[in-house]
Amino acid sequence: MTPKNNIIIGIIVALVIVASYNVDANPIEFAEGLPNLAIVVEEMLSVEPKYVPTALWAMFETIQMAFIGTVVGTAIALPLSMFAARNLNSKYVYAPVRALLAAIRTLPSILWAILFVIMVGLGTFAGVLAIVMYTIGFVAKLQYEAIEAIDSDPVDAVSSIGVSKLQLIRYVVIPESASHLLSQILYMFDYNVRQTSILGLVGAGGIGFYIINYIKFFEYGKAAVFMLVVLATVLIIDWVSVKIRDKYIVKSQHGMEVRAK
Amino acid sequence: MKQIQMTQNSSFSLISTNKIIQMSDVWTSYDSKNFALEGINLSIDRGTNYAIVGKSGSGKSTLLKLMNGMMVPSKGTIKIDYVTPNMNNKKFKKMMHTIGYIPQSLGLVKNITVLENIMIGALPRLSTIQSLLKRFPEHEVLEAKRIISLVGLSGKEERKAYMLSGGEKRRVAIARALMQKPNILLADEIVSELDHVTAHEIMNLIADAQKRMNLTAIMVHHDMHLALEFANRVAVIKDGRKILEIGVEGDNIVDFQTGDLNTEEIMEMYADDSKK
Ligand SMILES: Nc1ncnc2c1ncn2[C@@H]1O[C@H](COP(=O)(O)OP(=O)(O)O)[C@@H](O)[C@H]1O
Ligand SMILES: [Mg+2]
Repeated sequence: MTPKNNIIIGIIVALVIVASYNVDANPIEFAEGLPNLAIVVEEMLSVEPKYVPTALWAMFETIQMAFIGTVVGTAIALPLSMFAARNLNSKYVYAPVRALLAAIRTLPSILWAILFVIMVGLGTFAGVLAIVMYTIGFVAKLQYEAIEAIDSDPVDAVSSIGVSKLQLIRYVVIPESASHLLSQILYMFDYNVRQTSILGLVGAGGIGFYIINYIKFFEYGKAAVFMLVVLATVLIIDWVSVKIRDKYIVKSQHGMEVRAK
Repeated sequence: MKQIQMTQNSSFSLISTNKIIQMSDVWTSYDSKNFALEGINLSIDRGTNYAIVGKSGSGKSTLLKLMNGMMVPSKGTIKIDYVTPNMNNKKFKKMMHTIGYIPQSLGLVKNITVLENIMIGALPRLSTIQSLLKRFPEHEVLEAKRIISLVGLSGKEERKAYMLSGGEKRRVAIARALMQKPNILLADEIVSELDHVTAHEIMNLIADAQKRMNLTAIMVHHDMHLALEFANRVAVIKDGRKILEIGVEGDNIVDFQTGDLNTEEIMEMYADDSKK
């Protein structure tokens, strides 16, 4: 450990302390609050079992919202990513598309949800639209980066045959970047389920709508049961996507190594 | 061992209407400081099996990239069938499908099948709908099958390209180029890394196709033996300059340049290259 490192660590620790003071982040309050958790658990255990099917149904609704949002968002993102890739387009095409995508990405999904609640009213549709926007911004970015990373050799070789841009995309760009795509969609769906779970906080449907209402009426036990359902669902989706990734993606990523000196 | 016979600028006539490739005083550079090629003059007859030989970094790949329009010279003129090769030249764009180009790295699409890789050669003849939906016309499928059996890949049509051996990948790249129904075939060191037997199989394959389709083949080699064995013309490139151009007629080798090289020097180069 060099003196320089010590100084940097010292500065970071000091900054954390100052920032904690500014935002009232007090570890003592945290310790004092821990027993409250026991009360929540106790309340949770006394929740009537009939709420479990309601929670599961709300979760199912949430998953459907995330599913539609992921599929529609990806379907819009893919063509956009083709226009945003620097290795396929001139500056006049990719620059505005990238700027648009960057603008879309600046808003977190909950702010998109507020915007759509104002536009189309309270409910699940606003939530779906929010997820669509969020998915467009991120999948398009991940995908144009994947396209820019594909091997330039087949692109050059096939271009020199005199094929059209669409043919190049169909026969080289899509197959060479598709293995990333499946993994990105899985990741996005997984992430969207979590995001959709909180969109109810602003009235955009999903399981979060129940959770926020129970909290408003101090029914912490019920809120906790619904949160547990979210936790379990996210874990299951995580586990399933790992399985899918192992089966379909790891296998198809063996590169082709034919490079002469 | 072939006998090397030096002649002074004899049996070579520049007057010919049958030149498919002409380069005059071509200079080119990647970084606008160092020239990768310096003052190249080439004139290739239709139907020739032409070889370009030289050490690593001598400028062989650059020469091929100039011929298919991927690069443009900083000075000098190039004509392919009397058209200037340049990706932005409309006239050249229309004839790009007649030039089969096999890069050193082969440029196969690794995640699609052998058949699909070969079909890429036919794309300029297909409509947008046919190619997007992969609805290949019957006669194109038959043509692909014919070429697949010609290059010895029958039964492997549905294999993904990344699952093939080095020799098989080269066969796919050759098949893709033949599928273009090309007039010119440019191949960049495609047998350099193969064992002797496979290299000869592949060279015979190309020589066969070349004769049958009246192709003009321009093949870059690392190995002088291979060039002399298969080509009827060999150009030797050194440090971006063409230092020698020889014709191979039967067992005789004839120098076509004004020839400031002597037999020993050729043999030296010969030995140099075969050591690698
Ligand atoms: N993409 C590139 N950028 C810069 N320099 C290059 C590039 N490709 C080749 N060169 C240089 O140009 C010269 C000729 O290269 P190349 O034509 O690939 O030689 P060869 O194919 O005979 O091995 C070399 O000096 C090489 O370093
Ligand atoms: Mg090379």
